[in-house]
Amino acid sequence: MEETLRVLNSLERDGVLRRYAIGGAMAATFYTEPVLTFDLDIFVLLPTSPGALLTLSPLYEALRSRGFSEEGEFVKIEGVPVQFLPVYNDLLREALGEAREVPYGSTTTRVLRAEHLAAIAVQTGRQKDRDRLRMLVDQAGMNREYLTDILVRHGLEEKWREWTR
Amino acid sequence: MERMDSLTPDIKRLFQAKEDRRRKLAALSFPEKVQIIVQLQHMAAPILRARGENVDVWTLRP
Repeated sequence: MEETLRVLNSLERDGVLRRYAIGGAMAATFYTEPVLTFDLDIFVLLPTSPGALLTLSPLYEALRSRGFSEEGEFVKIEGVPVQFLPVYNDLLREALGEAREVPYGSTTTRVLRAEHLAAIAVQTGRQKDRDRLRMLVDQAGMNREYLTDILVRHGLEEKWREWTR
Repeated sequence: MERMDSLTPDIKRLFQAKEDRRRKLAALSFPEKVQIIVQLQHMAAPILRARGENVDVWTLRP
């Protein structure tokens, strides 16, 4: 996966992406025991000009020029199917902005913070998000003050209480 | 679900051992966890494919 991360770093360095971070099951795995997943979710902030449409086309084009083409909703980069998800709400924008930089072998990458992953799980609300939330609560050693602040600011405290009763 | 306080000491010990193992796994490095996920993919892929799901096991460089 290190090679995949190097490609993502090069996309950011070259300005194809403004910022990226690992999310989804792989990000959760950073904090918990490993969980089965077949794809790598990458949250991205794309360069935009005023009035321009938010589109992944320039990103896919840059990847094609590096020899990686899309297969359905994924792009296989160095053996790993990567799904790019442009940030689509305030919580995700904040999560990407506050993602932590972590080493991976001899490169570095960014991973969403556990507290943001928990809030995103509550907001998204699928069964697998409940499972992920339980593991994060049990194993991730989250900062409760930071988490509460996120939940309050994004109007998720009520749903959090319901889910963690 | 059986309540924990009604379990025998042996069963409690087994559950505790499982919990300890999960915490050990959670403490592994990120690259070590990714290696485990790829092993899990190898184990799960044939089952999922037999159920008609289209899954790809990652091919990472050594």
